Amino acid sequence: MLRFVLRRLMLLVPVMFGLTVMMFIIARLLPGDPVGLAAGPNATQAEIAAYARDFGLDQPVWVQYGRYLWGLLHGDLGVSIFSRRPVLADLIAYLPATMELVFAAMALAVGLGIPAGLAAAVWRNRWPDYASRVAALAAISMPRFFLGLLLQLTFAMWLFWLPLGGRFPIILEPPPTVTGFLTLDALFAGDWEAFVTACRHLALPAIAMCLSPLATIMRMMRASTIEVLQQDYVMTARALGLPPRLIVFKYVAKNAVSATLTVIGLYFGWLLGGTVLVETVFDWPGIGLYATSAIVSQDFMPVIGVALVIGLMFMLVNLLVDVLYGVINPKVRYT
Amino acid sequence: MTTTDLSRMTRRGLLALSGAGLAAMMLPDAVFAQGRKILVIAAGQDIPNFDPHIATGYSASFFFRNVYDPLVRVSGNPPEAVPALASSWESSADGLSWTFKLNPAAKFHNGDAVTADDVVYSFERALRLAKGNSWMIRGIVEPGKVTALDAGTVRFDLAAPFAAFLAVLPWIFVVNKAQVEANLGADDGQAWLLANTAGSGPFQVKRAQAGTLYELERSATPWQPGAGNLTGVIWQIIRETASQRLALQRGEVHIAVDLTSEDMDSIKDAAGVVRVIEPEYRTFSIKMNTQHGPLADIELRKAISYATNYQAIVDAAGYADLMTGPLPNGIMGHNPALEVYRQNLEKAKEHLAKSKHPNGGITLKMVHVNGLEQQRRWALIMLDSLKALNITLDIQPMLWPDMVAACKSPETFPDLFPVYQTANYGDPDNIAFAAYHSSRNGGWQNAVYNNPAVDALIEAGRKETDPAKRVEIYGQMQAAIVADAPDIFGVLERRKLGMRDSVQGFAFTPVASNAIECHGLSI
Repeated sequence: MLRFVLRRLMLLVPVMFGLTVMMFIIARLLPGDPVGLAAGPNATQAEIAAYARDFGLDQPVWVQYGRYLWGLLHGDLGVSIFSRRPVLADLIAYLPATMELVFAAMALAVGLGIPAGLAAAVWRNRWPDYASRVAALAAISMPRFFLGLLLQLTFAMWLFWLPLGGRFPIILEPPPTVTGFLTLDALFAGDWEAFVTACRHLALPAIAMCLSPLATIMRMMRASTIEVLQQDYVMTARALGLPPRLIVFKYVAKNAVSATLTVIGLYFGWLLGGTVLVETVFDWPGIGLYATSAIVSQDFMPVIGVALVIGLMFMLVNLLVDVLYGVINPKVRYT
Repeated sequence: MTTTDLSRMTRRGLLALSGAGLAAMMLPDAVFAQGRKILVIAAGQDIPNFDPHIATGYSASFFFRNVYDPLVRVSGNPPEAVPALASSWESSADGLSWTFKLNPAAKFHNGDAVTADDVVYSFERALRLAKGNSWMIRGIVEPGKVTALDAGTVRFDLAAPFAAFLAVLPWIFVVNKAQVEANLGADDGQAWLLANTAGSGPFQVKRAQAGTLYELERSATPWQPGAGNLTGVIWQIIRETASQRLALQRGEVHIAVDLTSEDMDSIKDAAGVVRVIEPEYRTFSIKMNTQHGPLADIELRKAISYATNYQAIVDAAGYADLMTGPLPNGIMGHNPALEVYRQNLEKAKEHLAKSKHPNGGITLKMVHVNGLEQQRRWALIMLDSLKALNITLDIQPMLWPDMVAACKSPETFPDLFPVYQTANYGDPDNIAFAAYHSSRNGGWQNAVYNNPAVDALIEAGRKETDPAKRVEIYGQMQAAIVADAPDIFGVLERRKLGMRDSVQGFAFTPVASNAIECHGLSI
């Protein structure tokens, strides 16, 4: 397995290289005048040219790319032409918020979706199955931003149970940064009150984010469980008189989950790149918001930086999923 | 409430009551009662960086107005210059020489006194970097022409008389020379000032979380008179205007600066909320391609100007006033009696008949910012208005950077180009120069319009120091521009601020009113 993991990690290099080439070319091919925009409405043509010189944008594209790659090898992802802040520093500031949100949403989706899918399959064509089917349909057809607004209205405006948005109350000092995940940092600091506060802020955006993967995971789990339930070894186990609970949890669930793992891995990447609407509604300061504002103003370096990070995370998560196949199902061999 | 009342209470009522109690606990007022008076402002724009000679935008203006000091500040309605670092000033009769006496009490946050050397250094740095707001003094203040006469006196010898000189000074902020020079690096201190400050303003940075919030606290070396009771200010970034409104209604923020007309309607009767709806010098007009394509024909431009349904344009804008000519209503020199185009189909057809396309039958291209609903509505109004002239309109939503790129030449500039223009300083020179002087051609504020006679009037207006003569010059300029019909003069959207009624000491100024100055405010 170690060789498999190492080989997959080695594969990251050409993939990331290809991603930089593609993103760089796309960014440069886009029409528009980001430098003119960044220089401000009253800049003269000479000042705009000086602005472009400052950022090396007056150089041929291949020179710009060479400089970018050299910088990348030294941990420099470039500088935003609008804020002039280093992209790496911005990503370090924004990424943990998105990761925390995605992990929370996936935890909810997996934690609820797998048992619900299992239950729907075991009680097939009975009320748990019907209920889960209706819930899945509703969850998958509800746009996330709209659901976010509904959740805000219900739980923040009418019931006043949860905060409207943000990661932490603005008037309080957040716990000292260790991981960048406020929930974990609060636990590390032993600050239970801060942990609860961070969870309360996380609740609504995580719910808004989790419904779509939850519905898919639930349906996938149901389908794969039904398939496994029809396998010969399950019939044998039943014939031998094993208790149904043992059959379902020990022999069925484990095999059914491995088929659902692929979806979980893919959804992780999908959520990572698709947080922007929820982040906007809940003012969640993550990379989705960062990337959107950069895309709108055609600020190349942050856009490329975000694409690289999402690409890297996506590949790492899928590698992890591939490894987990073998952990769950020993029959899987890594070649 | 008695136990009997409680027993009669519905579950929903109980929930609402407990919710209200919880809400009361969550409201900032509870925290402020602990001795901290922190004003929370909800805004959609992040502060790009902390360098006062580089960053622009209303969020940056808010930051600099509170963390740094200029020589003079702008205040009142109509706006006028009031003392800041300079306690007094005088100018020569020809308007070329200006002498400012600094307030001896002025201190930077690190305790250093603010001296004339700092002022000289700041202006020269702004000119050297040629970014941010330096365009306001470009060609007026030249390096070497700002002199420290003594520690408390600074003199400007202008390259040319500039009537708006006092109006632009509030936007050139003074940095502590010693602090910047100690962190100069290879880039004139730019890298250091991105995230550090060297100001003397009433507030200093307590914490900064890019994309989330910026908390300011009272300066450790307060010297400005007239302070309110605030101990701090938070600039909280809330991108959705609907979320800003909800936060305001919940009492989580004290001021929301980006509310729409619909938001203002929905908070009309909200408890504890005050609406500020005031005219401001922010114009919306539709620029026409006067150099290339069908609209190079002045008769066709006039036909379109007369065909436009202005009432629909102002109705679609919500809280707004129709413009009377190229200058914002109410600004010095604006002529409210100016005869401008109003919808008159007879006149429109008369001018169309005199044009190269007497029967219409052409298609014009109008762009608008993709996603900006207001501009899309105005484009649809133009589509409808032009039907009367048998002209069809091809409406193309574009990203703003693409629109800016299209302004580079008359050939790439669309026939109709909607644009907002905000007065950065409260003087007619600002809009006049940016929107109609030919030196701006190629930029989005005035991509193509070029009339040497108008240029001469704009230049005369900025050089003239006698206000009465300036009014006369700007009167001629407005008439000349209207005669050329380069724009469809649209609306002035009113500034819309939502405020908790606990905010005291706020006075509206129609320049950069969303970049709130917090020094004199109390809660």
